Amino acid sequence: MKQYKSKHGYEGLLIVIEGTDGSGKSTQINRLKRWIEDQSYGVMVSEWKTSKFIADAINDAKERNLLNATTFSLLYAADFADRLENIILPALKAGFVVILDRYIYTAYARDVVRGHNIEWLKNLYDYAPEPDMVFYLDVPVEILLKRIIGTTGLDYWESGRDIGLSTDFYKSFQIYQGKCLDEYQKMIKEYGFISIDGTLSEKEIHKKIISEVKNILDM
Amino acid sequence: MKYKSRLNQPHNLPGTLVCVEGIDGSGKSTQLVILRDWLKSLKQDVIFTEWNSSDLISQTTKLAKKKNLLSPRTFSLLHAVDFADRLEQIIIPALKAGFIVLADRYVYTAFARDVARGVDPSWVRKVYGFSVKPDLTLYFNVSEEVSLERICANRSPKFYEAGMDLKISNDPYESYKIFQKRVNEEYKKMIDEYGLVEIDANDSIHNKQIYFRNKVKEVLAQKGIIL
Repeated sequence: MKQYKSKHGYEGLLIVIEGTDGSGKSTQINRLKRWIEDQSYGVMVSEWKTSKFIADAINDAKERNLLNATTFSLLYAADFADRLENIILPALKAGFVVILDRYIYTAYARDVVRGHNIEWLKNLYDYAPEPDMVFYLDVPVEILLKRIIGTTGLDYWESGRDIGLSTDFYKSFQIYQGKCLDEYQKMIKEYGFISIDGTLSEKEIHKKIISEVKNILDM
Repeated sequence: MKYKSRLNQPHNLPGTLVCVEGIDGSGKSTQLVILRDWLKSLKQDVIFTEWNSSDLISQTTKLAKKKNLLSPRTFSLLHAVDFADRLEQIIIPALKAGFIVLADRYVYTAFARDVARGVDPSWVRKVYGFSVKPDLTLYFNVSEEVSLERICANRSPKFYEAGMDLKISNDPYESYKIFQKRVNEEYKKMIDEYGLVEIDANDSIHNKQIYFRNKVKEVLAQKGIIL
């Protein structure tokens, strides 16, 4: 008996939450994880750029400002390949509900903005399993800016300073994240994202998410 | 927007890119060093770059190898990072400045080794689609038996060079031969595919160098450099 209705053929389920920095992904993932656990399913969360070796190399390179658009892209791809093979696939095979904080769409958005060809990127990630559901938290750039400035502050890479859009931090963030948002918008239809207004309250967003997730869990 | 690999089109930069390929023990590095010294003696601007040597990532790759932690695909991507870093930091700037760039191993090493490890050939070729097409690539053809004799005259084969991660055989010597044979087979496919120039690695150092210099002279002559 199959426990879930999955797209990729593994026993588990793959749920992705996408959105730019400050879109509220982590908060929603925590709530969703708890909710699914309450329904007596095994849940595992994996975040973008968290593989053992490679994440350190990425952070180190970022700190020393050593990355160009290609090494940036390939390092993230290596991190993803490592997590997919060591964490995500084993969990899916074991029947877990896997919630991913960002997926290949993050790479598509960021790397296209950094000048890479989308066909090259699609090849780079062509072995990634198709998620059962992708939520996209849509937040306009002005609100993102307020959230980021009010919490972590503007970061060099999140502001796309490496691609020289503007020497002004605020402006650079605005342009860079704006371009990323455009890329996400394009992907909504192509990949069937469930787009949710990220400016709604935490609770409202959570309710929308679980009403969709119920459809793919056997319940 | 269709993606066009740069590996199939001439680079149109003023410099010249010369690469050597082949399994370990084929004598390619020796030949490249002799060639470099010769070119320098003729007052040519030359730089030298080696596979898996960028500051950015080579330490990570080495550490991961030590612990045998990574899958063939992840390895492939880490080598691509290393290559992309050297390409942008060293190779392309030097080609723009008109240098003769000598590369000890190039993308064909990835195509041969990664595919021998089971990575999809078309996938890895597309991953490296950003690379520059060399003006000349010499493939030093040596049998896996000779390679083993030369490399392991005074030590046993190392874990990865023997392809022990593939669990082909528990005997490192046996595994080395099987794995390097696969790598050689992949190289041979690339002779036609990428126009690699094959050279018999069993020939003497002197004969190989004469052949190598003639090939380099031809390529440089096409760019108007007469040596």
